[in-house]
Amino acid sequence: MFNKDSGLLQGTLELLVLKTLSWGPMHGYGVAKWIESATGDVLRIEEGSLYPALYRMTRRGWIKGTWGVSDNNRRAKYYHLTAEGKRQFQEQTSGWQRFAAAVTQAIGTVTAPGWAS
Amino acid sequence: MRNPFVHPDSKLPFESAPQAEVGDELQFHLEQRIRDYVREGMDPATARATALERFGDVSDVQRECTQLLTEDRRALARRDWLADLRQDLRFGLRSATHAKVFTLLAVVTLALGIGANAAVFGVVKSVLLDALPYREPDRLVRVFARFRDGSSENGALSAGAAKDVGDRQHSFSNFAVFQHDAMDGVFKGEGGAHIVRIAWVQPAFFATLGVEPALGRTFHEEDARSDTSLTAILTHAAWQGIFGGDPKVVGSTIRINGISRLVVGVLPRDFVEPMGDADVYLTMSLPALLSDPVSARGSHYLTLVGRLKPGVTAKSARQDVDAISNSLSREYPRDDGPFALTTTPLRDVMVGDTRTPLLVLMASASLVLLITCANLAGALLSRAISRRKEFAVRVALGAGSGRLARQLLTESTVLALAGGIAGILLALVGLSVLRKVALSALPSYAHLALDTGTLVYTMVLALCTGLAFGIIPALTVGRANMQSVLRDETRGTSESRRSRRLRGALVAGQIALCLSLLAGAGLLARSLWAMTSAPLGFNPEGVLAVDVQPPMGSSMPEAMSRYYALLEDRLRAVPGVTAIASASQLPSAYMNANGMVIEGATPPPMDQQSFITYVSVSDDYFRTLGIPLRSGRTFGPEDRPGAPSSIVISAAMERRYWPHGGALGTRIRLGPDANAPWKVIVGVVGDVRNDPARMEPQPITYASRRQEPSGTVTFVFRSQGNPLALAKPIQRAASEYDADLASHNVTTMRALLSNGIAGRRLPVVLMTSFGALALLLASVGVYAMFAAMGAAREREFGVRVALGSSRQRIAGLVLRQGATWMAFGLAGGIVGVLAVGSLLRNLLYGVTPLDPVTMAATALMLLACASIALLGPVRRATQVDPIDVLR
Repeated sequence: MFNKDSGLLQGTLELLVLKTLSWGPMHGYGVAKWIESATGDVLRIEEGSLYPALYRMTRRGWIKGTWGVSDNNRRAKYYHLTAEGKRQFQEQTSGWQRFAAAVTQAIGTVTAPGWAS
Repeated sequence: MRNPFVHPDSKLPFESAPQAEVGDELQFHLEQRIRDYVREGMDPATARATALERFGDVSDVQRECTQLLTEDRRALARRDWLADLRQDLRFGLRSATHAKVFTLLAVVTLALGIGANAAVFGVVKSVLLDALPYREPDRLVRVFARFRDGSSENGALSAGAAKDVGDRQHSFSNFAVFQHDAMDGVFKGEGGAHIVRIAWVQPAFFATLGVEPALGRTFHEEDARSDTSLTAILTHAAWQGIFGGDPKVVGSTIRINGISRLVVGVLPRDFVEPMGDADVYLTMSLPALLSDPVSARGSHYLTLVGRLKPGVTAKSARQDVDAISNSLSREYPRDDGPFALTTTPLRDVMVGDTRTPLLVLMASASLVLLITCANLAGALLSRAISRRKEFAVRVALGAGSGRLARQLLTESTVLALAGGIAGILLALVGLSVLRKVALSALPSYAHLALDTGTLVYTMVLALCTGLAFGIIPALTVGRANMQSVLRDETRGTSESRRSRRLRGALVAGQIALCLSLLAGAGLLARSLWAMTSAPLGFNPEGVLAVDVQPPMGSSMPEAMSRYYALLEDRLRAVPGVTAIASASQLPSAYMNANGMVIEGATPPPMDQQSFITYVSVSDDYFRTLGIPLRSGRTFGPEDRPGAPSSIVISAAMERRYWPHGGALGTRIRLGPDANAPWKVIVGVVGDVRNDPARMEPQPITYASRRQEPSGTVTFVFRSQGNPLALAKPIQRAASEYDADLASHNVTTMRALLSNGIAGRRLPVVLMTSFGALALLLASVGVYAMFAAMGAAREREFGVRVALGSSRQRIAGLVLRQGATWMAFGLAGGIVGVLAVGSLLRNLLYGVTPLDPVTMAATALMLLACASIALLGPVRRATQVDPIDVLR
């Protein structure tokens, strides 16, 4: 359901990546897996769009990739949050929460407006 | 998820290509996914297909990521490079402020070297390299008459010869004849009479040079015709100075020498006159000049400028004119026999005598720059050696040797740039000084300013110097064995033989260069001294000179003579004047000359005919200037017009033509007219060195002003006090005598003489300053060498002292090591002195190129300065405390 062209959901993907990495350094596959399991498989990300997002975030200085060794002794690129990344994570989290609360409130309203007859 | 191997700040030892890195990452992702599917129970083939499908377009993603990573890497590299540069600069500035003396020395040394070069290059460029303000100036040549007796190289042509050259030549697309020198004339305006300098030219003159007027037009051929109205063209300076820059002056009528002329044009500001400073250009007509049968071929006052036809070289034009000259000598042996016509490129004529001094200056400045570079290379070498430990530590901590070399180059470039900027400031100061000292000695078109070309030259010089002397320490850093350097801490260490040799050679080179420069400066100074101290043959002290121009055109000799006699009486009465006289010309480098025939003597072959300087003087001339009478008499009232013409000759003339005496009473004939009356030699007077820049006095003939009046006259006044105090009263008395009489060029005889040798003084002053500069720099170099030598061997000396060596032996050790290099330098200097001597040969007077006094004084001065420079370091070496050093 994630699409490269969708600005809103693009931002959402980035927020989820930041959240994932707030637990600690992780490689791209691990990030994808965590998002799937954390969203209860509701958000199955199209993996092709994850990697460009990772590189863009690297460029913005939110995350940084370093080569390490995975559990099964395979060379893998691990991403971690930079100081700027941590700041972005907090900012975007609260922004998302305000947004989600506003949308929730709007769609939960039972009082009809005046023009609805 | 545990990840024990990744430290947040660790970097890979190498960075792989972006495409491979992205591929690697995506590959890992897919592998992991397939593994997970297989673990869930899928068969490998299905797992693979599902994983790929789930991922999407792999190559598309890989392309996008690769591009992002590449851009990222590039930005990073730029940031790194800038950060490195910032670091280098910060480090360089910090180490520069730490080593204050070194930095100050380096910048000042560089500033002096570069400043001297920029200033001298500014002069050389404006004189030798800048284009003359004519169209295609390199295609212009001038035609001169070379006197076969050697008395003049760039002599004037007769009207007949000028016409024949014009008629017969095949080399010029156009040409114009003009008067060799500008002449004085009187311009009468509202404010009274002015003297103006008049240049007489053929109408084609400006077209040949390719000069466009600033206002109006230049001359047309009709302007020279007698039946059209007379015209004039003003120079820009005269237009501004006399007419206040009024554009309405074009089309108005002005009166020059009593004749009305229509102003048709104004020349551009940057126009440079080939015949010196003129104010007004008038047209002359060659046919009119040819009408007098005697002066047509016998009087020489013209010259010719021509533009080479396309494809004609200066050399073939010279051959063309040579051939014409030879046939003229055959056709008119009496008039044209004594001359050979030659062509000279216009630029060479205008550069004139200044070429050699300028090249000498350029060479001197280059030598100073070489010394500067050697000095700085030595200083940086010392600094690199004293910083060896610092470098070793940095290498041990992971700095690459390339990185260190880059750091050193940055440091020296910063120094060089600082020196370059300081040098430009110095050059500005230098040029403003030069403008005062040198302008009179340089061609009139030279304007001394620091232009872009000079700035570029200087900055390139600064950068090259920086790189050149930055490379030596950088190379040493690259080669040094860091481990042994670090270990050296515990052992006695001396600097390597290699760098000691390099430093010694640098100092030897400086001494050699310095010796050459000083010797050159000494030779020139001795020449100038010989020139100014040798007796002139007359007493210039307390003498004032004033040029006057009578208002009438060409009056009868009797009337002119009476006019001047009355004027002289009037001026003699001015309080403070103790003696007064007049002459057609004062002693100077360029004087009129006449051909001479001695009665009864076999005339010499035509090509060896003599030309003798000729002056017409008043009775009191010899007394006023203090020229002694050797025999016979000087002029008196008996030499009236109509009486047999009397001639007084100089002692040099008597020596040349009457070595056994008998000159008195001999009759001679002067001038081109074969039928002119004979003149009798009535007296012999002392020699006068009319050109103060020449040691040998020239033969001179004097005629009486009563019998041979001249148009323009210079009055000389002797006074008891400051002669300039007479200037105002004399001018007032002159205008009371005749309001239309114009007087100008009021100056002291001393100033005239000083101007006469200005061209000689310039190279002396400059080369002496360069010599002093070189001496200072070389002394600093010697000091630095001994200081570094002493510092490097401090430990060794400590050991020697501890083992019982005396202070004297230590001093001997240091001196022997340094003296060897100084001896090499002196030996190399001898070669340089020989080169300088031969380069300067043409500028030397009264001294030989290997003048022993100069050489001894130079070597002694250099040794004295070097000795002073090495005193401190040697003293310090002998005072090494063994306990301090060995602890």
